[in-house]
Amino acid sequence: MGQSRTLQVAAGLGAILAWIIIWAWLTRPGGPVPTLYFPAPDDVWAKFVRMWQRPYIGSTLPDHILASLYIVLTGWGLAALVGIPLGIAMAWWKRLKWIVFPTFQLIRPVPPLAWIPLTILWLGIGDSARISVVFIAALVPWLMNSMLAVYSVDRLLLDAARTLGANDRQILARVVCRTALPTLVAAARMALGNAWSTLVAAEILAATAGLGYVAVNASQLLDTDVLLVAMFMIGILGICMTGLIGLTQNWLAPWSVLGARRD
Amino acid sequence: MEQSAGKMAPGTTNPAQEAPAKLELRNISKWFGPVGEGVHAVDDCSIEVKNGEFIVVVGPSGCGKSTLMTVGAGLEAPTHGEVLVDGRPAGPPGPTRSVVFQKFALFPSETVEQNIKFGLQMTGVSAAEQETRLAEQLKIMGLELFRKSYPSELSGGMQQRVAIARALVMQPEILLMDEPFGALDAQTRTILQEEVQRLHREKHYTVLFITHSVEEAVYLGDRVVVMTKRPGRIKKVIDLPRDVVWKTGDIELAAEHPEFIEFRREIWGLVREEIVSI
Repeated sequence: MGQSRTLQVAAGLGAILAWIIIWAWLTRPGGPVPTLYFPAPDDVWAKFVRMWQRPYIGSTLPDHILASLYIVLTGWGLAALVGIPLGIAMAWWKRLKWIVFPTFQLIRPVPPLAWIPLTILWLGIGDSARISVVFIAALVPWLMNSMLAVYSVDRLLLDAARTLGANDRQILARVVCRTALPTLVAAARMALGNAWSTLVAAEILAATAGLGYVAVNASQLLDTDVLLVAMFMIGILGICMTGLIGLTQNWLAPWSVLGARRD
Repeated sequence: MEQSAGKMAPGTTNPAQEAPAKLELRNISKWFGPVGEGVHAVDDCSIEVKNGEFIVVVGPSGCGKSTLMTVGAGLEAPTHGEVLVDGRPAGPPGPTRSVVFQKFALFPSETVEQNIKFGLQMTGVSAAEQETRLAEQLKIMGLELFRKSYPSELSGGMQQRVAIARALVMQPEILLMDEPFGALDAQTRTILQEEVQRLHREKHYTVLFITHSVEEAVYLGDRVVVMTKRPGRIKKVIDLPRDVVWKTGDIELAAEHPEFIEFRREIWGLVREEIVSI
């Protein structure tokens, strides 16, 4: 399996490299695509290096990244603090679900961005407005998947625990929550995906820093190279965060990756 | 044949009026869904398991024998009837009645030793005592090398050993086993049947054992309860000889013994009637 894994990574990197080569060929001087519409890779790279070192619209690239990460991780984390316990509780206590779920179902189809005007009205144009929009985006997957995680626990395990003398509280804590961990890791990943993709839009509302803010400014100024730097950073950071969450699964729920490891 | 009234045959009740049965299922009926409309799984079944006795319930699949087990364990309430332990209402499930399930029901997030210690921790057994009992069970079930493994790393036979250890470590008064070897391959099943037989002979566990295998019933049981097809009633109770040589040895040898063959023929005849009758 070590070999096929290496092959897989090589194939992925190879494909990305191929895209960059095609991109470079298309945007070469005198090539078919004018650099105004799509800047060449070396221009983007130069811009990246420059932005990393010198401020662009107020902050250096690392500061923009940190500003974005702060919004995303705070919104995502707060959503976890609410979504996980609420989701588990709703799956465990039917009556709570009867009360909460209909409201939640009503809110769920509303795109997080539709909350932007209201959050600005309530919270002003500071970080908290953006955090709340990200929060709403992340809450749905956290809550839904936490609920499903509990439902996915085999009833037989609950029976077994009861015959071994466990009470409801012990079953919830030791059997349900632990068995549900791999599904919760999947929930974390989905929630982070939602949060991250809402970020750019959230930063349209009068941010003073952040990758979305950079992207919006760049598009208004037709700085396509800056726009691409921002887009790449959003993509790369997304991959990194997903990867980190994948690693936590090995650490939090080692049993759940055993089967996969043997394949 | 039509001994469906639910009472044990006269010869099998307690000799004299001494201690009540360790576990008694008294006139158990179970409906899933509304009475008269839902599924009638079990109808008026009474079974007594005396202290140190190994009772095997055998019947065609779908006859409600597993329902009898879940009711006996306290996991399901009977529609009618009651479950008694030492003559008193048994109450909710708990470690006096340990259960071994067909599908092992091991906690996937816990290692072998964590699984085995689970019940001890739930019931507040001291850490030192936990270790002592764990070590003993690991030894008895031959699991010492696997104590740090997760269930997903073990074969079915090994997983069921863990489940049996997890039940025995509670030092239960009653052991309920619901087709424990049904999900295992034939070779592993044979080995575990012999081990359970040995455990019962050495430690005199009180066991209610559910199976659809007639051989298993004859080999393991002190008494065999044959059930009818659904709704499950008790068709016949057959006493088996206890201290005979063929029960102490390998199951293949036992299966060649004339007495074994005779009981197997009789019980299989009873089960077969239920399967073929419409």
